[in-house]
Amino acid sequence: MSGATPLVHVDHFGMDFGKKNVIRDLSFDVMAGETFGLLGSNGSGKTTTIRALLGIYLPTRGNLQINGRAFRPEIGIKLGYLPEERGLYKKESVIDVMVYFGKLKGLNRDSAYKWSVDYLEQVGLADKEKISVDKLSSGEQQKIQLGVTIMNNPELLILDEPTKGFDPVNRRLLMNLIDAQKRLGSTVLMVTHQMEEVERLCDRIILLKDGVSRAYGTVEEVQNEFGNTLIHVEHQGRIPLADSYKIIQKSESNSTLEVANGTKLADILRRLVESGVNVSKFTPSRKSLDDIFVEIYGVDDLKEVE
Amino acid sequence: MRQHNLTNVISFEIRRTIKKRRFWVGMLAMPLLVVVIFTLIIFDNNHAASTTRNQKNAHFTFEYIDESGLIDAALVSKLKGSEATSVPTGIAAVKSGDIDAFFVYPAHPSKTAIAVYGRDKGVFENGKYASVALMILQTSVEKKIESPELIAIERGGIKSTTITYKDGILSGGINALIPSMLFLVVFYIIIILLGNQMLTSTLDEKENRVTEMILTTINPTNLILGKVISLFLLGVLQMVIFALPFVAGYTFFRTDLHLPNLDFSHLIFNPQQMTLGTLILLGGFALFTGTLVALGAAMPTAKDAGPIFGGLIMLIFIPFYAFSLIANSPNALIVKIFSYFPYSAPVTGMLRNAFGTLPLWQGVIVVAELWILSAIVLRLAVRLFRYGSIEYSRKLSLREIFSA
Repeated sequence: MSGATPLVHVDHFGMDFGKKNVIRDLSFDVMAGETFGLLGSNGSGKTTTIRALLGIYLPTRGNLQINGRAFRPEIGIKLGYLPEERGLYKKESVIDVMVYFGKLKGLNRDSAYKWSVDYLEQVGLADKEKISVDKLSSGEQQKIQLGVTIMNNPELLILDEPTKGFDPVNRRLLMNLIDAQKRLGSTVLMVTHQMEEVERLCDRIILLKDGVSRAYGTVEEVQNEFGNTLIHVEHQGRIPLADSYKIIQKSESNSTLEVANGTKLADILRRLVESGVNVSKFTPSRKSLDDIFVEIYGVDDLKEVE
Repeated sequence: MRQHNLTNVISFEIRRTIKKRRFWVGMLAMPLLVVVIFTLIIFDNNHAASTTRNQKNAHFTFEYIDESGLIDAALVSKLKGSEATSVPTGIAAVKSGDIDAFFVYPAHPSKTAIAVYGRDKGVFENGKYASVALMILQTSVEKKIESPELIAIERGGIKSTTITYKDGILSGGINALIPSMLFLVVFYIIIILLGNQMLTSTLDEKENRVTEMILTTINPTNLILGKVISLFLLGVLQMVIFALPFVAGYTFFRTDLHLPNLDFSHLIFNPQQMTLGTLILLGGFALFTGTLVALGAAMPTAKDAGPIFGGLIMLIFIPFYAFSLIANSPNALIVKIFSYFPYSAPVTGMLRNAFGTLPLWQGVIVVAELWILSAIVLRLAVRLFRYGSIEYSRKLSLREIFSA
């Protein structure tokens, strides 16, 4: 966290669609300059939260603010938004679409044109500026979409499932762009299922399930909250049962133990040795976010995600 | 920023529309058709004129029987005709081909038709027999009158001027009707030509999945307003292009097209009628545009919106079924219903305004109704766009719209 005032403030947000209660009670803050991950399975309310934050939906309950105010396009903050449902004006030329969005985002025509031309050059589409969008491949359209998202050098970049449908080349381009925006001081709020992206990029995260927060904090805090330390042991001899650990997985020579709260690792090692287990490797580790995700959402939810 | 984005939307919408080939095909098809029709008319008129000249100068042999006693024998003789001995003889002579035509002038030509018999020369050329028979009778009678003035009256070349008064004040008649009727013409042209474009203007955002990005960069009211204004400007452009061949045709080819010489200096621009006409036109345009834009935002595709669109378009034609009542009986129940039902009000109001049967107080009510309802419908269109356009593939129910 690099600032004390939250750039995004969600306070007791609730959202109903008819009788369906999509978000029950959600509160979180995104601080200026940080990269924040909004995680959850399908239907957990992530996109609804983003849409309510951006004023596309009216919240049923609670307050959602950006820079201290309910968001409207004219409040003045430079926003870059890559929605889950992607699209561009398909019958228009690439340059016309980019310049139009640039102008809507406050750039003058010349700046929007110059930025667009430079960007197209940078992503290898310099020769496509006069071609209509529907003549581009889906990968090329994704590049244009990304360009449109960041062309106003956004203070707040909101990415809803940013890598969804992206090919590996564009995924890397996206990651580079996010990195670059972070370096420029942008605050990034991303909705994703990709835990490796979260671990790589996010400073803090919130995990939603059934319209409420199930975990909220830095990646490390969430790991601590959900994941007792695991120990991967290579051994000869049978691992004895004990109160100080739980055997998660075991085979003849490889086992994984989950350390009970308050237990010292040295005590466990001593216990194993004293029980006659020949320990050749003793590797403690934290639960990965992937494991935590599976634990929270269960196998059924995970299948849905996949 | 707000004004700036409104201008951006207008320029983007106009540019993307005028870049479409389909737009220009639709735009130029009618003027080109008019040019083709005018060319054909000029050609046909010239051809008809030469045919008439040829027919006038055509010589054919004929006989006649005069039971009226009006035919001038000297005139007939000049035309190389002669009197027949009897009707059967004359008909027999035509049948045998000895003569080309035979006319029987009845005792009372004003009550009984002249019988004309002739050798068949084809549908169009056969007309010359009746023309000559009539011309002989008319010229013979005119010779008997011997007064140029009476001859002119007999020929029907008499002009008249009509002056009418309404509530003791000089009324404009047709000269006041024409300027006010132009509002109705403009309304029809805009709605018919641009209706489909109004319907699809927000469907574009929906079908292209750009709604969310748009909603985070521009206020939806500005977007919808920008679209409506650009549609209106395109409508004006379209009308100018439509009017061009008519103006050019009238200015340069009026005689060839046999168009009447219109004296525009006699047109009466009644300030009340012109003001009401303008306000009803703008209100009607805003109401229909708002409704069509709202419809487009609520429906997933243009096809789904089709039936309602068709119904709306029908509503602007329905008042014409009661045209005579609208023009002459403004107090008829059906006229009152059409005058105040919002979607028939623009056409009915403009018709009544043109015919001078829309009192100021009723005009004010119609204008207020149209403008207020337009504002409500435009707000609804904005709401529908905001909450409906992200429902990319399904129709919204009214309940969902209002509970959003």
